[in-house]
Amino acid sequence: MTGLSAMMCCAAMVLVSLAAGQAAMAQSSGLTLPSSIAAGSAFSIQTSGSGAGTLYIVGPGQVIKRDVQGGGAAFISAGSLHNAGQYLVILTGNGPSETQALTVTPAAQPAALSFLAKPSRLPVGLSDGITGAVYVFDAYQNLITAPEPVNFELSSPAQPEQTRTVITRNGAAWTEMNSTAHQGNDKFVARIGSVTSMRVVEQVPGDPCGLQMTASPAGSEVKLATAPVRDCSGNAVPDGTVVTFTEAYGNSQSTVDVPIKRGIAAVEMPAHPGALISVASGVVMGNQIRWER
Amino acid sequence: MNKSGRLLAVILGAVTVALIVIGTLDPSSTALAYAGGQGLVPSSSTPELAVRDLAAEIGMREWGRAYGSLANKAEFTEQNFQNDLTGYYLSLRTYATLDHFQVRPLHATANDAEMRLVLYWSTVVGTSVSTRDLHVVRDGDHWDVDWPVAKKPDVPPQVIPVNYLRWDVIYPGAGDDWGEQNVEAPHVRIVDMHPVQRAEGVVILGELLNEDIVPAYVSVNATLLDKEQHPIASAGSFDKISHILLPKQVTPFFIIFPNAQLSDVKSIRMTPFSTLVPASADPVIAIDNEHLNPVPDPSLTGQVINQSGQVVNVAHVLGTFYDKSGQVVWVAGEYLDRALLPQTPEAFDIHIPEDLARDISSERTVVATYSERGEQ
Amino acid sequence: MQKTESIEASQRPIPISLSLLLATAVNLPLMLMKLPLKSYDTNFHIFFASHYLHHWFDPWNPKWYAGFSQTTYPPLPQQWVAALSPIFGLEMAYMAVQFAAILLLVVGVYRFAKLWVSPRAASYAALATVFVGAESFLVYSAGQLGTTCAAPIYLNALPFLYEWVRHGKGRSFLKAAVLFTAAATAHHATLLFGSFFFALPVLALAYFDRSEGERVAPPAFVARALAITVVTAAAIAVALLPFWIALIHYPVTQTPIPHPSRANYILSPQWGLNYFIVPYGAMILALPFIFWRGSTTPRLRPLLFGFWVAFLLGLGGTTPVGPILLGRAFEVLTMERFSYWAALLALPFIGLLASELVARYRTRAIVGLSVAAAFTCGFAVAWSTYLSPEGGAEGLDVKSVAAWLNRDGHDQYRYVTLGFGNQISHLARLTDADSVDGEWNSGRMLPELTRYGGGALTNSKFFNKPGLDALRAMLTDADHYGLKWVFVHDPSYNPLLAFAGWRQVDSLDDNTVAVWSKDGVPPATPLNAPQIPPRWQGIMWGICPFGSSILAILVLLIPEKKRQEAAQEYPVDENLVPGRMVS
Repeated sequence: MTGLSAMMCCAAMVLVSLAAGQAAMAQSSGLTLPSSIAAGSAFSIQTSGSGAGTLYIVGPGQVIKRDVQGGGAAFISAGSLHNAGQYLVILTGNGPSETQALTVTPAAQPAALSFLAKPSRLPVGLSDGITGAVYVFDAYQNLITAPEPVNFELSSPAQPEQTRTVITRNGAAWTEMNSTAHQGNDKFVARIGSVTSMRVVEQVPGDPCGLQMTASPAGSEVKLATAPVRDCSGNAVPDGTVVTFTEAYGNSQSTVDVPIKRGIAAVEMPAHPGALISVASGVVMGNQIRWER
Repeated sequence: MNKSGRLLAVILGAVTVALIVIGTLDPSSTALAYAGGQGLVPSSSTPELAVRDLAAEIGMREWGRAYGSLANKAEFTEQNFQNDLTGYYLSLRTYATLDHFQVRPLHATANDAEMRLVLYWSTVVGTSVSTRDLHVVRDGDHWDVDWPVAKKPDVPPQVIPVNYLRWDVIYPGAGDDWGEQNVEAPHVRIVDMHPVQRAEGVVILGELLNEDIVPAYVSVNATLLDKEQHPIASAGSFDKISHILLPKQVTPFFIIFPNAQLSDVKSIRMTPFSTLVPASADPVIAIDNEHLNPVPDPSLTGQVINQSGQVVNVAHVLGTFYDKSGQVVWVAGEYLDRALLPQTPEAFDIHIPEDLARDISSERTVVATYSERGEQ
Repeated sequence: MQKTESIEASQRPIPISLSLLLATAVNLPLMLMKLPLKSYDTNFHIFFASHYLHHWFDPWNPKWYAGFSQTTYPPLPQQWVAALSPIFGLEMAYMAVQFAAILLLVVGVYRFAKLWVSPRAASYAALATVFVGAESFLVYSAGQLGTTCAAPIYLNALPFLYEWVRHGKGRSFLKAAVLFTAAATAHHATLLFGSFFFALPVLALAYFDRSEGERVAPPAFVARALAITVVTAAAIAVALLPFWIALIHYPVTQTPIPHPSRANYILSPQWGLNYFIVPYGAMILALPFIFWRGSTTPRLRPLLFGFWVAFLLGLGGTTPVGPILLGRAFEVLTMERFSYWAALLALPFIGLLASELVARYRTRAIVGLSVAAAFTCGFAVAWSTYLSPEGGAEGLDVKSVAAWLNRDGHDQYRYVTLGFGNQISHLARLTDADSVDGEWNSGRMLPELTRYGGGALTNSKFFNKPGLDALRAMLTDADHYGLKWVFVHDPSYNPLLAFAGWRQVDSLDDNTVAVWSKDGVPPATPLNAPQIPPRWQGIMWGICPFGSSILAILVLLIPEKKRQEAAQEYPVDENLVPGRMVS
């Protein structure tokens, strides 16, 4: 219960106490109203008896007050009572107060989805790597607790769309999706009928796969260059990714951390005959070359 | 005016003067420290005293006096001499102060001597040690120092092509398709972690990998937990880590818990932090001629070469040392107190604890850099 | 007839009101310009006063060192600043208190000097007080409010001590005891060392004078001396009880912090200029006279000995006296206060010299002395401009830093500054955030700060390795203290921050201040320090020291009974014949 709701409940209790306290008003009266309505719908409350009175509708986060004449009807227009929950309808006047309960349920038609998609960035080819969670609300931001089917769709330009349908429980539904094999910005959509909410999930290349380098002489040095660095799905590993070249010779070694530029990593290192040159990126090892010249 | 009064005045005056003379000729250690370790009259009557006086003048930044006392001052200018000590480019040495020095005789004859001067510079990142072997020559009744000045390194004119790789961060606007969650911290992973008990306390060694495609600003915290899972102590990696990690880059980390006992520790909670930051792939630093030197003075030596076109003001060389099974057994580092000029090698020498040296079979070196423009 | 009048005129004291007017003319404009704000410690005292203003009965101040107790420093001048601040504002209240202390010093020196020299010479001493370099140095360069407030109170107490011991006057006993107590609550070191430099010579003087006029037997003399000592000690013990408790429970055992006043002023002439030439000024020329006259006039010998010891200690490491007499305290105390006391002790001699010179050389002497006095004072006042105490913070405006800390919840974390010099007290006063740094070294208890021998972290690099070691230790333990922000006004610290895991997140004050932050630092929580004084100590601290000063004012209103002055023989130059003065 939010603070505001708690305050409203307290206010309701105070009003009920006030109404009960007016015991001197002996004239009888009555209330006729539906026991349940949908949030935002119009309805009327019929009173009986005579004389002027005041009608209070007190509920979570909302209080409505109307002056009524005994025997007349109070009309509550559409959209006036919009917060779902339990309400008290209290009629005070010259006689004893009259109280009745009123239940306001969320509207049946979903109008908004609160959609949380995580992560916003992940490597390609990850099973159940993407999580989507949806909360379903009506037009008045009431959580629709009635079961509703939610379609989750993950689409990418180069891959067939993944879809899941999940029935909400207590207003929420969640699912897990696989990241696709191709890098790019995928659209992750949650849909109930015509109501949709979209998030973008960036799918990025994974670890380099089959890292290969070649060596060629460059004066007194050896020029090392990788083949275009790609992950296991064939996506180009982005520029800036660090590739480590290590050259071991005798009891010494040389190391250079080189960022990939234009798809390849290249560096010139001292040429030591018999040196064993290896390449790696992160925890992925590439090939080794023994430099004999 | 009585005679005893006059005598008293003379005595008080004489005692005052005597006390001043004593305090000046044999100053207290505090007073001597303020005088840069120099007495009233600098004496260069021996080679060692000549070197000591020179070091004291360097410590007090009395460049003119120090330069003036050199035997070979005609070979370079005072500015060259000063820059040789404080750096030609902005570096750790620029703001360093001389904490103390040692002088060791290497060789001496009647007319010349070889002396080793070890200068302990206090820099913001710790003590930096530099050693100079000096030739000292006799000149009449005093000795003068031949200062082996290292002239300004000449970087040959050249064009260094830089395809400037840089990441900037654009934060999302409210209500767009990226939602709230897209400024996501880079994904980093601890790929190795290993606690060891050392004399100075419990040390946690490990490696951290940036497995994302964006650069990460990282640090690692560790909390030691006892048998009831209550925290014993908490500490961070401080400067024994490379805080900027480019995609797929690995850094070692070293966390020390002084005075802790590994036997009291039931488990360790590791907390890596990563933040998405703007970063640059430059400068690229090559490490050349890495060599693991065995006991009795185990160390990792080598050279770092700045392959970019910009000057790197401060570099921190971090070595990760592995045993035969590939497990991290030690992490150590050294700050270079000279600026890294383009294509100009600078030597490093990372000390390795002697008891661990025999277990080490391989190493990996990374270099964290700082340039005055504000990027690391 | 005319000659006779002239002789009388030349022996008449200069009215004390004239000296006070002169002190006002010299110092009031400087105070209104708030010149002391440039000094080393003025902002520190205002910061303490600011805490008293808001928490008069709670001496625990969380704004520095993650919390420290202000009972570690006698509070009287700061409490007066706090008390006056609703009228003047904190800064101007400080100026008012400091100005009052300057005026009180003129009166105190006059009364003290009258014990030793003729009223006319004493009036010259009072006049010379206005120009004493040591006073100007402490007020405008060092900002030592405690010392400069305690000394005049102490000097004003000494004649009552003399009166009590010499004549057994109960009123003098009361006034001496209350004034000594008030002086102690202003500055404890003044009381401690003042007892040796000032009180012992006065007691010796009273003993020498015991057989003149109203005689006093030696047993009575001893009994009176003991009585005033015991009662004053008890009063001080009570008035500063929380201070003593803090000192006993948490003695200052931290690694000593270097201070250039302990240098040898010959080997380090730059510090000789700062701690000898500037404070003494032209008084140096009078040193031979002081030694000569003090030795040859038996009555002045106690004063000479007091001066001599203070003078030697004030020379810092120039002589071995400081390390020998003070022991470890030599590494803790700063020596400029000894020069200040030595200068005050020299003033009766200066008054004597001036009166004799004026009597002998008339206008020439007046001109010469005036020039010497003006240069001494002017040089000492201007010195704060030449050797700036601001520690690299010249032109730094900390308001933008304070505003940054006070917004967006930044004050949930602690901060530290680098390169802010003496502005950290000003910043601490303006911001709601707490710091792990501070300027009151004796009050700090954090091991990262006490272990190495560095001073304030903001000046780390000036303390070389110890200072930088302390800074690195504090940055290492940043999480423990909730230390998230580092404000840098000196880029030489940037490499350390960059390599230690801090990131620049903002810049302030036209990019002259960089804000660095560390990720993952938990919000600061109050440290449950055992040093937090209990409530009763806070109440005592709020009542006793300030109350002692109020009591001192009240007892001074009690009129003195007129006593028939015995013919007092004052030291004069034996060669000076009055008839020749006008011849």
